[in-house]
Amino acid sequence: MNEVFLAGRGIACSLGLDLAAATRAVIAPPPAQRIDLGTLGDFPYRVIDEAGHDDWYARAQRIVTRVVDEAGGLAIRHAPLFVASSSVDVGAHEGHPAGFIPDCHAFAQRIARMLCWQGPVFTLATACTSSINALLSAARLLRHGTADDALVLGVELANTFTARGFAAMQLLSRSGAQPFAPTRDGLELGEAVAALRLARTPSPWRLCGGANVVNGADAAGTCAEAVIAMTQRALADSGMHASDIDLVKVQAAGSPASDAIEAGALQTAFGRDVPLCTYKHLIGHTLGASGAAEIALLTAGIEAASLPSLHVAADSALHLHVARPTQAARTVLADILGFGGGHAAVVLSRAHAS
Amino acid sequence: MSPPSFIVLARHADDIPADWRDRLAQRLGQRPRRLGTWTELALYGALRCADASAAPPDAATRLRVTSTRATATATRQALTQACEGFPLPFTFMQSQTSHMLAALAAHLTWTGDASFIAAGGVEQTFAHCCAEAAGSPLLFGVVEEGDPLVSQWVWLAPAQPGADTHAHSFAHALTGPSPLAPTR
Repeated sequence: MNEVFLAGRGIACSLGLDLAAATRAVIAPPPAQRIDLGTLGDFPYRVIDEAGHDDWYARAQRIVTRVVDEAGGLAIRHAPLFVASSSVDVGAHEGHPAGFIPDCHAFAQRIARMLCWQGPVFTLATACTSSINALLSAARLLRHGTADDALVLGVELANTFTARGFAAMQLLSRSGAQPFAPTRDGLELGEAVAALRLARTPSPWRLCGGANVVNGADAAGTCAEAVIAMTQRALADSGMHASDIDLVKVQAAGSPASDAIEAGALQTAFGRDVPLCTYKHLIGHTLGASGAAEIALLTAGIEAASLPSLHVAADSALHLHVARPTQAARTVLADILGFGGGHAAVVLSRAHAS
Repeated sequence: MSPPSFIVLARHADDIPADWRDRLAQRLGQRPRRLGTWTELALYGALRCADASAAPPDAATRLRVTSTRATATATRQALTQACEGFPLPFTFMQSQTSHMLAALAAHLTWTGDASFIAAGGVEQTFAHCCAEAAGSPLLFGVVEEGDPLVSQWVWLAPAQPGADTHAHSFAHALTGPSPLAPTR
């Protein structure tokens, strides 16, 4: 089995148009904008501050190309490309649904054409866990020697469709996400495009392994047993023990129920008060892109000793240990939980000090 | 590196009969509620494939589903509802491919690694899923809510070196000779 490394990262999100800018902005994030959902009201929404709003696809092409270039992806256009998205290009078809293309791979193929991609192209769609699952799928190809490199691209761009769906399900906060806070009342959505380039040649961060656990008990919620199974399987796949993990990047989107279930299940899985950090209050829940986006921010943040703080004190009933920004971490577990009973995590280890 | 080889444990390659919804309801003990046609189709084929094997899928099994249209019908319906205000919650849920994965997990009474994946055709997707599943069982389905309706499934297990395999391609796995457990 080959080792797999995180060879390149790129991101555009509400914190910035590149990884350095986004990592710096973790300390003082810009305020959320609002998205108007008509009769449903308006809600916080974390947008990519990219000036052009001419055409949905033209904007997508500019952002995607820049992010892939930042990750070094344009140099491996022969490699497998995994496009992970929940909403794909639905934003381009709002208001005229007749134009919606009934081909779930069409957006990934369009992105491949944007990038002049020459390698095989895959669409991964498992809602919020999409880019974690894309990362795991790509990593297996490298582990087994089927590929030398791969690019995982999480894409979640502007649309009101998803926001309306989430609002209709009463999942959104009107004031903003407050992960783990006693007053948490829902999540906020955001845009992100993030690219993770995988390679078999050594880099500072090794992708040790991971796991995806789908549990059908609650199609729209978090299941404690599945969080525990996800953690145990991710550790086993990585050849790690719970005691090896220095920090957990959690889902913690600000949901009253899911935040509490996740926190409790992680405490059970780790058998100790493991330090936690979260990004949902900074960039919003970027759904299918969230795994790639938050891994890019997490690894860069550790390198820069710039981990996020919570806006507010954590709910004392959750007994949480939230990591302070100066804390060093070498081995981390990053999870994303989502629609469809998805619970997915990866373990990353910082192989060499940089 | 040679591609991993598999044997066929079970498969469901039959055309979808006109009364497939009744048969699914009979299998489930009740009519499924609020799942959407695409997810119900996936359930119909996956359960028939699983029922053709002596034992249910284990936790190591990887479940992979592919489709061209996938949830297009529900997505278009939800987009239309959104034009008029907001999508109904269950229509929105049905527009998410992951909704199908949860339903499969629930009705297979299984918990594990499930994904929706698409590539430039069924065979390319199948080859990728086989490559990433090396060493693990694979339950792979193609589900199309079109004309005709499609819900074709193969359940594969890693083959011993030198074994006579029946999964060189999805088409071969579906129709090739002598699966270990033919479809009921």
